[in-house]
Amino acid sequence: MIRVPLRPLAQVIAARSQGLNPDIVEAERRAAVLRNRRSEERRRAEWRLWLLSGVFLLAFSAVGGKMAVISASAPTETRRAVAGEPIRAHRADIVDRNGVLLATNMVTSAIYVETRQMVDFVGVAEGLASIFPDLDAETLLEKFERPGNFHWIRSEISPEQQQAVHELGQPGVYFGPRETRIYPQGQRIGHILGGSRYEVQAARAAELEGVAGIEYQFDDRLGDPEQIDTPLRLSIDMQVQNATRDVLQSQMDAYGAIGAAAIVMDATNGEVVSMVSLPDFDPNDRPAPQGPDGDLLFSRASQGVYELGSTFKAFAAANAMERGVAGPNTIIDTRGPLTWGRFRIRDYHNYGPELTLTEVMVKSSNIGSARVALQTGTPAQQDFLRELGFFDASPVELPEARNADPLLPPRWSELSTITISYGHGLAATPLHLATAYASVVNGGLRVHPTLLAGATPPTEEDRVVSRETSQALNQMLRAVVSRGTASFANIEGYEVGGKTGTADKPNVGGYAEDSVIATFAGMFPSSNPRYVVVVSLDEPETFAAGAIRRTAGWTAAPTMGMLVTRIAPILGMRPQPEVLVENVPATTLASAGQ
Amino acid sequence: MIYWEQMNARPTPTGPAKLLHVHWPLVILICCVCGAGFLMLYSVAGGNLDRWARPQMMRFGLGIIAMLFIAMIHVDFWRRISIFAYLGGLALLLAVEFIGEVGMGAQRWIDLGPLRLQPSELMKVALVMVIAQYYAWLPQEKVSHPFWVAVPLVMTAIPVMLVLKQPDLGTSILMVAGAGVVMFLAGVSWWYFGTAIAAVATTVWAVFESRGQTWQLLNDYQYRRIDIFLDPSKDPLGAGYHITQAKIALGAGGLSGRGFMQGTQSRLDFLPEKHTDFIFTSLAEQFGFVGGLTLLGLYTAIIMFCLLSAFSNRDRFGALMTGGLTATFFFFFAVNMAMVMGLLPVVGVPLPLVSYGGSAMLVLLGAFGLIQSAHVHRPRGAYG
Repeated sequence: MIRVPLRPLAQVIAARSQGLNPDIVEAERRAAVLRNRRSEERRRAEWRLWLLSGVFLLAFSAVGGKMAVISASAPTETRRAVAGEPIRAHRADIVDRNGVLLATNMVTSAIYVETRQMVDFVGVAEGLASIFPDLDAETLLEKFERPGNFHWIRSEISPEQQQAVHELGQPGVYFGPRETRIYPQGQRIGHILGGSRYEVQAARAAELEGVAGIEYQFDDRLGDPEQIDTPLRLSIDMQVQNATRDVLQSQMDAYGAIGAAAIVMDATNGEVVSMVSLPDFDPNDRPAPQGPDGDLLFSRASQGVYELGSTFKAFAAANAMERGVAGPNTIIDTRGPLTWGRFRIRDYHNYGPELTLTEVMVKSSNIGSARVALQTGTPAQQDFLRELGFFDASPVELPEARNADPLLPPRWSELSTITISYGHGLAATPLHLATAYASVVNGGLRVHPTLLAGATPPTEEDRVVSRETSQALNQMLRAVVSRGTASFANIEGYEVGGKTGTADKPNVGGYAEDSVIATFAGMFPSSNPRYVVVVSLDEPETFAAGAIRRTAGWTAAPTMGMLVTRIAPILGMRPQPEVLVENVPATTLASAGQ
Repeated sequence: MIYWEQMNARPTPTGPAKLLHVHWPLVILICCVCGAGFLMLYSVAGGNLDRWARPQMMRFGLGIIAMLFIAMIHVDFWRRISIFAYLGGLALLLAVEFIGEVGMGAQRWIDLGPLRLQPSELMKVALVMVIAQYYAWLPQEKVSHPFWVAVPLVMTAIPVMLVLKQPDLGTSILMVAGAGVVMFLAGVSWWYFGTAIAAVATTVWAVFESRGQTWQLLNDYQYRRIDIFLDPSKDPLGAGYHITQAKIALGAGGLSGRGFMQGTQSRLDFLPEKHTDFIFTSLAEQFGFVGGLTLLGLYTAIIMFCLLSAFSNRDRFGALMTGGLTATFFFFFAVNMAMVMGLLPVVGVPLPLVSYGGSAMLVLLGAFGLIQSAHVHRPRGAYG
């Protein structure tokens, strides 16, 4: 509290004696007090204002400087365009592993007008409108009358249209040559190639730029003038890709599924031989991401993150065998339901009190997998799945896949260990699944997915499981197909092995009752796996054997069967007579009880 | 106030004479900047006046009248209603939080018949006003007392939290900056600012340093999100796309630009958000470095005029409010420019007075009205 001092009487008297107005003297005195009190505060505020002004000015200079740098040093596209020098219009071709053309360039023209040279606006507008049905004369006329000399009409026209425009004989209409990116295989490979567009359009040339997929990933390589004549060779086999897409499309229609994905991977080195996601799009006419068909751009194979169901049981079994917890013939307690906290784990059917590990796989027992996984332990499960690549986005050469991070449980409890052992509670892309299967069935060497031909095979350093574990797992996967849930995939002579997986689709606050993702992950031939195949159907449904069937055994497994029939001959695989495996006497997993 | 009356050599103007005391050079500068905006909106719409330019001009007309009207009302009135403006803004923010949730979600608007306003825009101004009012009331010797520092911090934190939840990072940054500048000008001790900066720096450092260590502070997926936020090229079809295209357009303009209506990048629909947040790129492409620098100069002049007005204002509320609103305007501009030039991640802040959008335009002109009011009604003392 600042006290206001009383008027000093001496001053009043002094003022009076000098004939001054004491009120004015008093006011001056109070002003002086106020001035003193405020001076400190004002000095401080003023000094700080100066500082603030200084900071603002500095920021303005920084922005101005940055602007100068950008406008002076980023002429890579523009200077050349402005000066009329050639811009990087060429782009290398893309071919499949056998040299089949997947993407190439074709010379076309763009059409534009320069209004200063034009004589007859109405004539040009009507002439162009009659040649291009999607243009109308009024809009064109309006365009010509806008300020500015230069107006684009269309960015791509055909040679016939160009001739027709020539025949109009109107001055002021010009053509700009440019290369157009053509994808001869169309939508059969849209998700892999992605697409391209013009980056910079100048009157005499236009630079192509990849917008997604391989075209984006290898934009620099494809546009590199040094390597223009060397096509980029992918690992895709277009014949296999066609066959895969045909089979998948027919099966998707047959089961009324809303989407489907399939991957064929070379198990020995991770090369993706075929990757299909339906529905797909044509890269020649790529839909806009925000447009009505934008969701066609989504690849279920490399971007879709799903719970992959019982296909994960193979990892539980492989890990248990690798760590010596159980062997193929170890007896597992499958008495149910398995109660864990407030959760109860059940099987699809009751399979009796005990099964061997092989039978757990063949019958697809959740309780059996859960007990095996608990016995192996949570850290071991995490380590194994991390080694197989389930903890990171897939390293495949697609920019979109980099954003498809697997969904891991926020807190990895023992309940997580149980559910993940049969493929719930961890979601990953079908490409992750194919890669992991390839790594465990090929003899146990970790592979990385790639879309480029000529991948180097993995070495001993990449080992994730032993050769023995890998072989034992292959026999189990073979048994699943020969006498288990995936018998519809049993194609004689190719020793198909694999595991079905049916996952309820998540909806708000739980799982949907009647929509599933049916997956089959497998390989052939199981005695020495060469190719891994993953098939996934989104919401399939079929009526068979007197009931509506949705499980993978009824939907994904037959798809796998048809797929193998089609692609194995293309891949040069010969049907082989089967090698029978003898049963080994059973041992008991004593500690697996509750 | 009788005392003031006595001491004023020149009285504060009253009646219609006030119009003469409006800071007209400032008004003219504002009109110039808005004019540049109309040209750009006309150009990016491909020469179509009706699409963006005309509605923007109508809002501008409305806004300028509102600005002069606000300027005519005594700054003391604005000081007194500050707290109510703040509470009202808070109520509106809460209203969109709860009512907006039921509706369509993403965009948080309040519909006032023909006028749609974003409460967060209003809050930017109300927050600066209320903190200026607070310091005008608070005796100088208490300014750096911890309790009296905590009060404006809480007043800032509540609306910032609500806006962050929307989520609107850009507006939150502007609000924190505006409130911070008012506190700074009010003379809050350096220690507080030093501590705040140190705390933020330490947190950022710890978050990054802990990555991959045993004491990792965030989950892996959260780090990946931060990565994409900081380096949009990792998300090529998302945020990275804007920035790459914007840089090309800036480069395309060169020194003197391609000429009005000649920009291919922005006119051929390569540029997203070409009429809102990224409108500066259209300007830079068509008028080049010279055009960009001219606009920069106009903004600098506006801000310097406002700061000079704050310097010469002896009324504590008027000076603080002018300083705070000027700072908000500055950060508006600076964040947008940094975003466009790829110095900052895309946070969604428009270019003030130029970008298409009614809320921001009206609120900014209203804020300039407040600055004018403080200028017109500044005490013209006999001393100092």
